Amino acid sequence: MKPIILANKSFRSLGLVLVTALLPVTALAEITLNGFASIRGTSVSSDGGLEPFPGFEEGELSFNPESLFALQAQADLGEGLSATVQLFGEGRSDFEVEARWAYLSYQFNDKHRLSAGRFANPIFHQSEYEKVGYAHNFSRLPKAVYIDFDFSTIEGVALDSQYNLGDYSLSTKVLFGGWSGESFSAVTNTFVDFGMDNIISANATLAGDWWQLFGGFFAAQIDGTSIDNSTVFPLAAAGISAASKTGATAGQIEDFKSRIGWDNKDAFYWFSGFAIDRDNWLLDFEFVDYVVKDSTDAANQSWYLALGRRFDNVVLTVHTEDYAQSPDHDFLNGVAHPALLATGKGINNAFGQREFDGVGLSVRYDFHPSAAFKADYFSGTDTRAAVGDYKILSFGIDLVF
Amino acid sequence: MKKLLIISSLLFCQLALAEVAVIVHPSNNNQLDEATISKIFLGREKSFADGQSVVPLALADAAPASSAFNDAVLKKSSSQLKAYWSKLVFTGKGTPPKEIGSDEEMLKLVATNPSVIGYVDASKVDASVKVALKF
Repeated sequence: MKPIILANKSFRSLGLVLVTALLPVTALAEITLNGFASIRGTSVSSDGGLEPFPGFEEGELSFNPESLFALQAQADLGEGLSATVQLFGEGRSDFEVEARWAYLSYQFNDKHRLSAGRFANPIFHQSEYEKVGYAHNFSRLPKAVYIDFDFSTIEGVALDSQYNLGDYSLSTKVLFGGWSGESFSAVTNTFVDFGMDNIISANATLAGDWWQLFGGFFAAQIDGTSIDNSTVFPLAAAGISAASKTGATAGQIEDFKSRIGWDNKDAFYWFSGFAIDRDNWLLDFEFVDYVVKDSTDAANQSWYLALGRRFDNVVLTVHTEDYAQSPDHDFLNGVAHPALLATGKGINNAFGQREFDGVGLSVRYDFHPSAAFKADYFSGTDTRAAVGDYKILSFGIDLVF
Repeated sequence: MKKLLIISSLLFCQLALAEVAVIVHPSNNNQLDEATISKIFLGREKSFADGQSVVPLALADAAPASSAFNDAVLKKSSSQLKAYWSKLVFTGKGTPPKEIGSDEEMLKLVATNPSVIGYVDASKVDASVKVALKF
């Protein structure tokens, strides 16, 4: 990676003027421009005819779903203070450019840096650079774990720390923030308004020369009025109606609605895993577990395992992944009316209906100092009848500059 | 075929003999071993042992000393190194060492700034800098 460094008085092009407009810094600021891009053709087919993931186009080869570009500008204001903005656009959003990141950072000392603004949400180990294809050996990080959460960018404050422990290094991050936007519901196959408040997150990575151990969590309070009104309560309407006709009291129904709803409930996500890169053999494993507690959401336990072999400038990777959900009816303990009980269980089962697993083969060829060609083939099975068995074939180029 | 073998052997000898010198300012008295140098150039160590802040400088990819240094000290190819820094740059966790165009420019920068650490082809070292380690 070769950063482009410019004193801002030398800006001439329109693009650079744009950057200076976004970052009104002092005349002494030094601006570093970096970027990344992926141009990828993806072909998806499924027995049921529905694309396995939103944004993909079933039955055709398309360069739209997985192509993207980003331009990042960092202004070094001196004495540890910097400002960063990342402009990002991807094919699935018609390359509409958004300020994916916009934050200020202050490096207190060698170990600690505080950031505030909009930045990546470290949901799982590789979430922060999930979109930077060049940074990993897959065409896309395994979907079972990296399923394109809509809350991948949040607003808040974060403290990054780095420690050296003899031959090992320990990096940690703690964060507080919030997010609001739209989230994909597999139950209705639509996007609904969704929010997360009071996000608290912490993670750590301990690394040696050829290994990494990592783990972390994030907890948040759900702002789920919209998903309750658009998905959860409509799914329960028939059952509530039947219950009210067979003796359920208004109090019982209100109690039931508060149990099945997501609004103001606590979400909890955690991950752990390891990575090994030794003698040109690569082994990666990550396990994740998450749920919106005490609601109709089904607990999710997913993982992937990848084995890779590096041959000079070629890396071959085979991986297997599993996205599993576990409906748990404990949130209905105390609900006596049989119609309400059955309805609650049914909704919980509906939220837990989608599972998938599969096996993938990926090849990466570093044909250029700043670019890698990648191709992959993935064969999976989705429990939704509308999807069923599915295949993903893709090829493309990831680059950084 | 014989000529090809001779040329290959000569090239191999040339590569095998090529040495990289890690250089610092003459006033820098810190003891630097391979592990510490690796941490500095991977962004994991930001100060010398005496507390002086450290500014690592790298040679451009095309320089033979660059790939020799990356292989011997950082144990990474150029592409692996780029992937490593991609994870840090695009998560706001670090910036790679700035790239310098020539051994001569590197010598000049190291000789004039006690915070700087760099590397050059060992045959290019002069009295303006101190050699911390050779590979």
